[in-house]
Amino acid sequence: MNSDTPIADDISPPRPAAASGSAPTSPRPTVRPIGFSRRGFLTASAAGVTASLAADMSAIQGLRGEAIASELKRQDKRVILLWLAGGASQFETWDPKPGTKTGGPFRAIPTNVAGIHISELLPELAQRMQHTAIIRSLNTKIADHGTAAELMECGRRNDPGIRYPDIGAVVARELGRLESKVPDYVSLYTSTEGRRKGTSGFLGARYSPMFLSDSMTPANILRPDSISATEHQDRAALRDALAKRFTAESHHLAVDSHQSAYQRVQGLMASADLFDVEREPESMRARYGPTQFGEQCLIARRLVEAGVPFVKVARAWWDSHGQNFETHQELCADLDHCMSALLDDLDERGLLENTLVITLGEFGRTPGINASLGRDHFASAWSCSLSGMGIRGGVAYGKTDEEGHKVVEGEANAGDLFATILEALGIDHEHEYMLGARPIPLSDFGSKPIREVLA
Amino acid sequence: MKPNEDSPADDETTTRVRLPETVKVDKTVNLPGIGFCVTPDENPSTILLGMSDFAIHRLDFDAEKPESRPISEARHQSYVTGIVRSGKTAVSGGYDGALIWWNLETGEIIRQVDAAHAKWIRMLALSPDGTRVASVADDMRTKLWDIESGQLIADWGDYQLKTPHGYPSMLYAVAFSPDGHWLATGDKTGQVLVRDPADGTVAARLETPVMYTWDPKARNHSIGGIRSLAFSADAKTLAIGGMGKVGNIDHLEGVSRIEIFEWESQSKLHEIEDPKYKGLVEALRFGPGDQWLVAAGGDHGGFVSVYNLADGKLAAQEKVGNHVHDFTLAPDGESLITVGHHQAVSVLL
Repeated sequence: MNSDTPIADDISPPRPAAASGSAPTSPRPTVRPIGFSRRGFLTASAAGVTASLAADMSAIQGLRGEAIASELKRQDKRVILLWLAGGASQFETWDPKPGTKTGGPFRAIPTNVAGIHISELLPELAQRMQHTAIIRSLNTKIADHGTAAELMECGRRNDPGIRYPDIGAVVARELGRLESKVPDYVSLYTSTEGRRKGTSGFLGARYSPMFLSDSMTPANILRPDSISATEHQDRAALRDALAKRFTAESHHLAVDSHQSAYQRVQGLMASADLFDVEREPESMRARYGPTQFGEQCLIARRLVEAGVPFVKVARAWWDSHGQNFETHQELCADLDHCMSALLDDLDERGLLENTLVITLGEFGRTPGINASLGRDHFASAWSCSLSGMGIRGGVAYGKTDEEGHKVVEGEANAGDLFATILEALGIDHEHEYMLGARPIPLSDFGSKPIREVLA
Repeated sequence: MKPNEDSPADDETTTRVRLPETVKVDKTVNLPGIGFCVTPDENPSTILLGMSDFAIHRLDFDAEKPESRPISEARHQSYVTGIVRSGKTAVSGGYDGALIWWNLETGEIIRQVDAAHAKWIRMLALSPDGTRVASVADDMRTKLWDIESGQLIADWGDYQLKTPHGYPSMLYAVAFSPDGHWLATGDKTGQVLVRDPADGTVAARLETPVMYTWDPKARNHSIGGIRSLAFSADAKTLAIGGMGKVGNIDHLEGVSRIEIFEWESQSKLHEIEDPKYKGLVEALRFGPGDQWLVAAGGDHGGFVSVYNLADGKLAAQEKVGNHVHDFTLAPDGESLITVGHHQAVSVLL
């Protein structure tokens, strides 16, 4: 099966009401959640009920009111992934080993949660540990950038013929709102090293990220001055009418795709201001600081506040084969300050209880310190953090040995982390998509959420 | 084994003005960790090292089985990155921000200043008369201490705490001029200050922006900076060491780089880049008579290079074990001892 083939009924963008239920003109793979239609849920719960509601009402008729309420609540959930591209050192962040042969020069400092110490390079985050659970026992085995990044983004390795969606696409699929005027999945990655665009895999292009690589503002999304607002609306209406007429006679994926793309563009044009940090008060901008990462974290807050369910901010480049300690002094200062500002800002706005903030990269760094004072790739015993929504803060889960060579307690793999993230968001990690006749659980087969870090 | 001495002269020795034609590894001794800094002990064949095991070690190259051993059970709380000796007293500084005065005869701590700096101490320099020690640290302050009393004599804070791109800066290097009249310091962004240590007056500001190595596009960070400084014997020339433009900032693969100034006029005399042996220039010393300059450092591997100051050309060069963090040059210019990644190496010039 070609997994790049766009997906079908249940996770396609909403079709015009007249076309709902129309059979496709040719057989195509079906990705269908087992159980109820979530599209029906989301559509029904939209504030502005549209014509598509009637088409999907049957899907929600049998559901209990509590389930609907729960589903409604789900829509407020968001994720910000702080992607530490290249692989941050667990020794210089979440799992310090001061005074050991492998520990490096930095000390461990106490946090505001008794018994939990982290690197002295994260002094601000140390005072916000009540929001955060650290997982110190990741053993993900793969230590080359490309394959490891794919593993940690998707929670599993691709199988032959199947390209799995990354966590952003899954969250966009599960938490995105069809009527939303804002994108479902935004990925900021302006450095060039290790840049990855993200993948929606078999979920299809509808859940691909809006990928900002050259600047922090989407390019070419403003209406040209040569076209008036009225002309712009008229053009959209004409395009809609033509598309509806065409699909009423012969439904076709290409038309769906075009229509979806235009709808998203219209949404993006309306959300251009969200990417403009100049619209924030100077005091708020100062709080996040002057670095690019700080500005991107501020944009992430603006986006989730506006309802974007998944925002990835990639901060390059932690791949410290040379001068690991200089690299971490620089980059940890950035992470520490910007993430602290983000947590505070989300908390003060009442958003943190509905927003999960993740720090993750493709792997950690070796216990051994090489001749360039660097640490190399290491996936056998490393760390990540989860803060905010659905997380039991003030927890350090798992344990590595004295010098950080291996996990000795609470070993977790990529699938387990993926399952944990989904469960924190209230999404059943065992929920299955049907890819043709093949059931695909949201997290990898056999994965288990780490209950100890869940609220 | 040739005598070593680059701390205050204990006696007059014959100096070697002739330009070395070779760099030859004499003896390599394995270290139980990373040697970050070195100073000669009273015994000419013995060195004192600051190590990654947080201790001060002593190593006698003339011993039948040379072995690096801590001088005391007492230690810093982090890597030891600076050490100087004045008579029977050594002063060390480390990433713990502390300065420790050591009695070299007993190994006992004479004095400890735990918060000498608010951040990581990067280097120490001893005044030529042996009465003062200068320290630089990532709190971006330069401090001057009295060796005998431990009293803080001066505290200068004229560097920016942040780089132009908003990240923490670092103050890596410090050196006294041989006449004791000048003190040079260099930071991560390539800024050099030359001041009068008597009153703190800044006499010159030099810039070496290439050594900053800021990479705004691919990796969005930097790993360079000024890592070494050395005055000529006449105090007129200042050599500055670091790394040049780097493509892959994940590794130390930029060319090693030295800029040499007639500092009072701010005239650049030489700009030296070595594409053969890449990485950081971690230490610099002028040879006797100011005819040549020795540089050492490296990426994974270490190097020792000798440059002719008449034309800035390479005179001799050799790979020297692993990455070299520091070296001490014998006053006669005939030999040096490097310390670095798990190795100390004696080298003949």
